[in-house]
Parts: sequence; C-alpha cells; structure tokens
Amino acid sequence: MNTKMVGILFAAANETKLNELTIHRTTASLPFAGRYRLIDFALSSLVNSGVTRIGIITRNNYSSLMDHIRMGRDWDLNRKNGGISVFPPFVLNTSREVYKGKIEALYTVLDYLKKAPEDYVCMANCNVAANIKVDDILDEHIKRDADITILCHKASVNSSKRVLITKNDDGLVTDLSASEIPSDKEHLVSLNIYIAKKDFLIAKVEQSYARGYVEFEKDILFKEVENGKIYAHELEGHAAIIDDVKTYYNESMKVLDMSVREELFGSLRKIYTKVKDSVPTMYMNDAKVKNSLIADGCVINGTVENSILFRSVRIEEGAVVRNSIIMENGIVMRGGKISYTITDKQVVIGAGRQISGSETYPIVIVKNKIV
Amino acid sequence: MRVKKECVAMLLAGGQGTRLGALTQKIAKPAVPFGGKYRIIDFTLSNTINSGIDTIGILTQYQPFDLNQYIGNGQPWDLDRLEGGAFVLPPYQKAKSGEWYKGTANAIYQNIDFVDRYDADYVLILSGDHIYKMDYSKMLEAHIAKGAACTIAVLNVPISEASRFGIMNAKEDGEIYEFEEKPKHPKSTKASMGIYIFTWAKLKEYLIADEADKNSHNDFGKNIIPNMLGAGEKMYTYDFKGYWKDVGTISSLWEANMDLLDSGSGLDLDDPDWKIYARNMAEPPHYVGDNAIIRNSVVTEGCEIDGEVVNSVIFRGAVVERGTVIHDSIIMPDAVIRAGAKIEHSIVGWSATVSEGAKIGKKQAQADAGEWKIAVVAPESTIKAGSVVDAGEMVGEEGK
Repeated sequence: MNTKMVGILFAAANETKLNELTIHRTTASLPFAGRYRLIDFALSSLVNSGVTRIGIITRNNYSSLMDHIRMGRDWDLNRKNGGISVFPPFVLNTSREVYKGKIEALYTVLDYLKKAPEDYVCMANCNVAANIKVDDILDEHIKRDADITILCHKASVNSSKRVLITKNDDGLVTDLSASEIPSDKEHLVSLNIYIAKKDFLIAKVEQSYARGYVEFEKDILFKEVENGKIYAHELEGHAAIIDDVKTYYNESMKVLDMSVREELFGSLRKIYTKVKDSVPTMYMNDAKVKNSLIADGCVINGTVENSILFRSVRIEEGAVVRNSIIMENGIVMRGGKISYTITDKQVVIGAGRQISGSETYPIVIVKNKIV
Repeated sequence: MRVKKECVAMLLAGGQGTRLGALTQKIAKPAVPFGGKYRIIDFTLSNTINSGIDTIGILTQYQPFDLNQYIGNGQPWDLDRLEGGAFVLPPYQKAKSGEWYKGTANAIYQNIDFVDRYDADYVLILSGDHIYKMDYSKMLEAHIAKGAACTIAVLNVPISEASRFGIMNAKEDGEIYEFEEKPKHPKSTKASMGIYIFTWAKLKEYLIADEADKNSHNDFGKNIIPNMLGAGEKMYTYDFKGYWKDVGTISSLWEANMDLLDSGSGLDLDDPDWKIYARNMAEPPHYVGDNAIIRNSVVTEGCEIDGEVVNSVIFRGAVVERGTVIHDSIIMPDAVIRAGAKIEHSIVGWSATVSEGAKIGKKQAQADAGEWKIAVVAPESTIKAGSVVDAGEMVGEEGK
C-alpha cells in the first residue's frame, strides 16, 4: 500500500448522451450492476490502492451524488487526514460560472492539489466501471519516470469522442488522436483515467489556464506526446466505459457473465457503496428467475429472466421481466410485462401493462413515472 | 462527569451457547449468523438505538474476538456517538482482584462504574440471544410511570409451554407477587423474556448485597429478582405483544429462520420504521443461474445460485451449484454446496463445503416433541463427496 497519490474524480462526463438517465443525476451517481453507483468503482479502486485523499469535482445535478457520498464513510474515507472533498463546479468564488473543460476544473482545485502531501495524482472520469489496481500502475509510472500514464483498453469506438492511442512496446505513447466515428475495429482506447506527476500537472494547468486553454486532452496531453514522457498502460481486466444508453444497457448485461462478475467483484479488493440496510430478497412461490442479478430487499413472485433488479424491487404475481434493468424501488404489478426496458428509480409498471424495447434500442422510463 | 444518560443498556453477551454445539465452538452465541445477513445480536442492538437509547455496554466473556470485531465502534447501528455509543466490556483486572463474570448479576456488578459514569437513572438489561423487535422506550415510560424498582418484560405463552420459562405471577395492574423458575404447575402464562429495567440506585444496592453473599449464584433470575421480591420492592410486568424467540437451541434457531419465510409468523424485518441493522460486507447483488429454481426462500447479496432452493434461507456469499437440492434448510455465509448435493432440514455453517453428491439431513413433516431433528454441518468444515449426514446429526469441524 502507498499513500503517494491523491485522487481527483470528475463527476460529470458526457451527460448529454445518457439522456433520460442523467436528467436527475450526474454520471457519477448513475446506478449500475444492481446496487452500485458508477463512482463506487473509481472510489473503491483508489481506496483499495491505498489512496486516502480524494477530491470530487462536480458539475451539475450533484445533489444525488452528495447524498450518496455523505462523509465518505462507506469507502473508509471519513478521515482526519485526507478523506473526501467535494468541490462545487464554479471557476472562481466571485463568479457563478461553471468550469468549461478539465483544465478550468483542475484550476479550481489547484490549492487542494498543492497542499496535498502526495507526489502523484490519479484523475479519472466516473463513467468507467472497473476494478483497477491503481497502485500497481503507479509503480510502473514511477519506474518509467513518466509525466503522465494513460490507462487504456482495447475497444471499438462508438459515437462518443474517444482518444485513440498508438504506443511502442515499452508503453511509450507515440501518437494520440480523437475519434467519434463508430467502428467495429478494435483500437487502443483511453479510459480517461490518468496518473500524473503532481508538480508536472500543476505547472501545465497553470500555463494552459493562463493562455485560455480549456481541454486537458487536446491542449495538454496531445501536445506533450512529442516530449516523450507520456506512457500508456493497457488494462488486462474488464473495463466498461458508459457514455450512452446503449453502452449502459450492454455493459449492464455483461455483468450477468460470470467472468465479468469475477473481475469486478471476485477479489479481496471489494467495491464499496452506500450501505442501505435492506433486508435479503424474498422469493415467493410463483417466482421463476433465470440468469439474473438481484440485489437485496426485492420481493419476487413473477418471472425474471436475463435482467438486473436493483434494491427493493417488487415483481408481482404473473409479471414477466425479460432482458431489462429495474432500478431501486421499481414495481412491476400483476401481469405487467416488460422487455428490453430500463426503468429508473421508483417506476411503477401497472397491472397488465406491456412495454418492449429492442436489444439495439432499449426503452428508458424516467424516474418516478407510473405507467 | 460525562453527559448524563437517562437510561443505559447492558447486553449480556457472554454465554457460550453450548446447546448450539458446533455453531458456537469458535464464536459466542450472539455472533451466530441469522436471517441471511444478520447476527443474532443485531436485533437487540437495533432495538436499542431505535428506542432512542444510545449507550450500551456489551458484556462479553466467551470467545469474544469475533464479536468484538463485529461490533467495532458500533457504527453500523449508529452507535458511534461522541458521548456514549457501544462499548464491549470484557472482564478485566482491577487493582485488588480480577475475575471472570461469575453470573449475569456479577457481570453488571463488575461494571457498576461504567453505568455510574453516565449518571444513569435506569438500566436496561438485555440478552444477546433473542430474535424480536421491541421499543424499549415504551417499557421505560411504564417503569417510570409506576415508580417501579424493576420492570420485567413478559410474553404470554401457551400454558402447555409455560413450564419451560420463568413465570411471573402478577396482580391485574401488573405488580409481581411471585416468580417461579420453570414451574411444574404454572399459575400464569406470563413468561419472562429476560429483559429488565431497573432503577439503577436500587439495583446497585442489590448487586452489592448479592456480591457479599458467598452462596449466591450471582444470577438475575436465581438471586436478584427473588431477593428484590422478598424485600417487597415494587416490581411490575410489562406486556410485550409481537414476535419473540429465544434461539438458544439448534431447533429454535432453525425455526426462527423459517419464520422469515412465513408471512403469518409475525417476524417481518422489512419495516422502514424499525430497521434491523447489520455490519455490511460489501458484496455484489446475488446471481441466479439458468438452472436455478428458487421458491419461498430468502437469498442474500453475494450468493451464486444455480440449484433448487425451496423453503430455505441462503446467507450472504453462499454458492449453490447446479443440480443441488436444498429444502427447508439454512445455508450460512460463504458456504459452498457442490453439484448434486441434497440438503434437507439442515443448517450448514459458514464457510463450510458440502461436496458433490453428499446427502445432509432428512425431510420431516413435523417436530418431534417440540424439537426438529436438524442436521448441522460445522462452520469451515468439509463434507466429502457422497457422504451422508443423518437427521439430527452434528458434524464437527473435522468434517465427514
């Protein structure tokens, strides 16, 4: 374990493409895999890597995030030294202006970074669900004397903007480019998780901010490639980038695969989340459940197949749920049938109602809706 | 002087629980898992904080390590308070002497200073081995209103079972005139639940006198209560209505778990106004496979289920492989049930492994003279492939 690194998490990323799912929340607090919020993966990975000082930079709709994080106790981050700090999105105390890009966002927390005794920074977007041994990657970063290490994995590009990486056998980045053209071909794609030398990062942010630059990737990272100290680390384990409804659905369904669950949850490096003290799930006499992930607190008396039920969901007699995701406190009443549907928190599907989306275009039902 | 606490709770958690056999070889009875994600002690701890009492001494003696670790700083029960909170109180060496807790009363006697430190007016004595939900604040109100020296919570039991309990014979207004421990011919059906509220100044007098009596068992039921009654103290019953079960035996522990599956049993844990808290183990949701059949059962986080589970309680992190049959059984945390095993009317201890094709226990239509013949597999033991464990048999940690 080391305490050489401070964490900076960007709570907001690509909200616009998650549409209905982020009307009421920031990406970081998007529910995932039955009982988690996306930020739990980044927080837990850092905590399990010995990082005890983590700043979270918010952007919009962050009340759900504040409610989730509280004092950070559920991640063992209620500490006298370090712990969790949540930063509001305003550039300056005197202005109401929200930061534009990551450079401005980092500029708002420069004092925090300077005061932190750690020599390295791990900064990450919260839209990645992975259980990452960041401490191992830091060791590699130090050994290489890198300025920045980019965490990446092999993936095909969807319509969201991704940074594509070309590296040599030593991991040295030789070229970076941005792409948002969907393709089936696999590339080495950035996870938008970086390890950087703290002093290097602070200096670059100060210089770039003074010149009015806003985008970290374009204005710092791309330019630094020629200096030859930007490295890439390719993750071997499972990593899910979630940036639109389709990837949210697909990546959720992958968790039904045992090997993916094993990678996310199988080690002693646990994924922590807010404790809610739900009771265990009750299966009634007419429950028929196959290939599904079920959180605590549910009461099931219907059919559930290839689906994910979050905490305290009720499936009544004769209801059928297939290939769907039902978030916390959802109810499918007697005889209701849904397939390829994502219901947000507290959605009620009335008796006998039928809703079906398709695998390529799952239907999203917004929070608190009664159908 | 600390901040004054009107009422301090003292939880007797030192009992070995010998009747639970293999389950309490390494941990104290209050630490035994219950109901999928709980420990037995969670019920009294949750009742205490839900009743507005935030200072609780937990008296441990037998195998305290696991229980100490579980309780920690009391945070899962909101008992990590600036003033008060949860305190584990093992016996300790004093200036002149040091000794084990000789009995329930002696355990409180040895911690008189703890109660005094909070300047408590009343002390609530609890046991760590009962499953129930109870608002102690109402009992305290009744105690204060009657100006009692002692109030004893009682439960109406069937007259046929009354001779198994300590029976309180009381007048209509609840004033106790006689206490009979396990009477052959019970005169009333008001059974003591082992929950007492004492006016602390009074109890202290009797504890000190009891300690001076060399012939005393230093026990609440055997000594303190009869002595107080004999001296004419004002003692009242407090009627409790609701689910309550002493889970001191394998059969009763099994029954109480089964009561979770029966909506008519009165044991409902899913009550937002009276949550039962437990230390959380950060497990993912449970996964149900393509071959699973789960009916009338409770399944907890972290499980992987691919077999047949009927009328059973599956605890956190248990693995049930394809082709297994589990009926009317309790599978405790992190147990692994391998393919083709058959388990009926059994308790499989935590982290035990039941190998392929093993047969544990036998189906029973009814209890025999009040006792079910529950097969028990010890925690952390291994049952070899094809082994047979009979109904009522208890397999120790050496496995079979």
